[in-house]
Amino acid sequence: MVLSIIVGSVSLAYGYFEAGLDAPARWVVSMGMIWLLAHWRKLYWFSSFAFFLMLFTAAYGVWMELPTAWMLLGALGGLLGWDLSDFARRLQYAAPTDDIQGLERRHLARAGIVALLGGGLAYLSLVIQVRRLAFEAAVGLILLAAWGVTRLVMRLRKY
Amino acid sequence: MSRSLFLGLLIYSLLAAGLIAVNGGMFTLMIPMLVYLLAGFLFSTDEIRLEAARRLSAERISPHAETVVTVTIINRGASLEEVLIEDVLPDDLQVASNHCRHLIRLPRDSSYTFSYSVTGPRGGYGFEKVRATVKDRLGVTSREVRLEARGQLFIFPPVTRLRHVTIHPRRTKVYAGTIPARAGGAGTDFFGVREYQPGDAPRSINWRASAHSEDALYSNEFQQERVSDVGIVLDGRIRTNEFAKGHSLFEHSVQAAAALADALLLQGNRVGLLVYAAFLRWTYPGYGRVQRERILYSLAHAKPGGSEVFSGLEHLPTRLFPPESQIILVSPLHEDDWMPLVQLRAQGYQVLVVSPDPVRFELSYLQKTGNVALAARVLHLERKLLLQKVQRAGIQVLDWDVSIPFDLAVKRKLSRPPAWMRAVGR
Repeated sequence: MVLSIIVGSVSLAYGYFEAGLDAPARWVVSMGMIWLLAHWRKLYWFSSFAFFLMLFTAAYGVWMELPTAWMLLGALGGLLGWDLSDFARRLQYAAPTDDIQGLERRHLARAGIVALLGGGLAYLSLVIQVRRLAFEAAVGLILLAAWGVTRLVMRLRKY
Repeated sequence: MSRSLFLGLLIYSLLAAGLIAVNGGMFTLMIPMLVYLLAGFLFSTDEIRLEAARRLSAERISPHAETVVTVTIINRGASLEEVLIEDVLPDDLQVASNHCRHLIRLPRDSSYTFSYSVTGPRGGYGFEKVRATVKDRLGVTSREVRLEARGQLFIFPPVTRLRHVTIHPRRTKVYAGTIPARAGGAGTDFFGVREYQPGDAPRSINWRASAHSEDALYSNEFQQERVSDVGIVLDGRIRTNEFAKGHSLFEHSVQAAAALADALLLQGNRVGLLVYAAFLRWTYPGYGRVQRERILYSLAHAKPGGSEVFSGLEHLPTRLFPPESQIILVSPLHEDDWMPLVQLRAQGYQVLVVSPDPVRFELSYLQKTGNVALAARVLHLERKLLLQKVQRAGIQVLDWDVSIPFDLAVKRKLSRPPAWMRAVGR
């Protein structure tokens, strides 16, 4: 979790720093440190707020046309940090005799796979670019994709 | 806010931002979260079929003893990756060892058993449900189910064994017991001498008395011993039981009532219990072990309380007690209580007051200052006067200093004197 927060905030900060925006970069690093501090103090509610801020910073960076790869890495780090912080909160309810290590191992594996898959797909979306596609068609495709994924999920959940 | 809703709002915000700003990068940022959310939904479980069973190592325990609660959860449905099982404990019960909450993985058709010990103060407690919170593999969705697993635990007051409690009701029942019936017949204590009747055992002939007469023989008669109706009244009024800093005499009163009920039932008497607090709780009189259980059950639930109606003893429902029976009032006593007690006596009841001493009790935890000592002296005198007034009405009083064990106090004042002492009339 600590690693994902550091990677996320450093990536965002680096993206901003590269564009010469030093002040926002420092703010992002500070936010990452505050998030770590909050986690250390077991203020788990802060992770949602911090994740929102990191995503907002990443979206603002994309809008400012900063390198999308760094922004994506920042958002991905924030997502993982948010997930693992909540998992740490849930683990507090476990009794010392419970299989905490097994739960941790399985959750880390799943979160890692999902992050890799999400990051990979997002990276693909950066690499693959269709030159001639009308905006309306893109919106239609997104809606179609959303509907298709929903149907897929519903069908898979039956099994 | 649920995690799925939070994530969904972020995704839609990015989608809206991307469409408004006509910026594909926003959609790129959205993709990891979309994958995360979809993965969560995909692996969430619709069908939760959990069953729970509960077992208690003992259903009747004494205060602050421990009982082991064993809970078994069986999963009859799909495999569950993350389940938080939490046994919902009744108020006032505390976990003494191990844990009543577990975070586990529960595969299909498997079971999980956990045990923990609970302890608590006197009372009756009902275990009802086990709470299970099921999350998907990423914790995106969460569903809470409550599984029925009933159980009951009674923490009875400690029952001090009393060897003998001497009471003298005016009226006894027909069955043989241990209470002097004020009537001649079969027994152990000498009652009187009467003229010999055919059927009298030769050894019952009082030869000394017969020697005084030329034409008649005289037989010794012994006092019949029978059982009696006994009504125990437990005073649970806050005004008499509760003191400053949360100290209460009520537990001592409950302990005394339990010990008396146990002893009197063991002697074969018919015993009923009335808890006189915010409301009346009446345990109908009965005999034997079942009645002992009933009374202990009632005492386990007894709580001090206050109400305008039952602030004094004048509303004591005497009709519940058979005429001329024995009433035992367990109460620290208030200064206004002597008149209702005298009235009880006037109605023909034989009354015994077991009174935990509130002055000594309060003094035991107060700082020993001059003012406290003076106040205690005044209160002690007032109490002494009150008890004297009660005793003058023919009411037997046991003034119990609660720092002394109850059985010892009873032994001094209420136990049956040894045979040699009775023989010499002391």
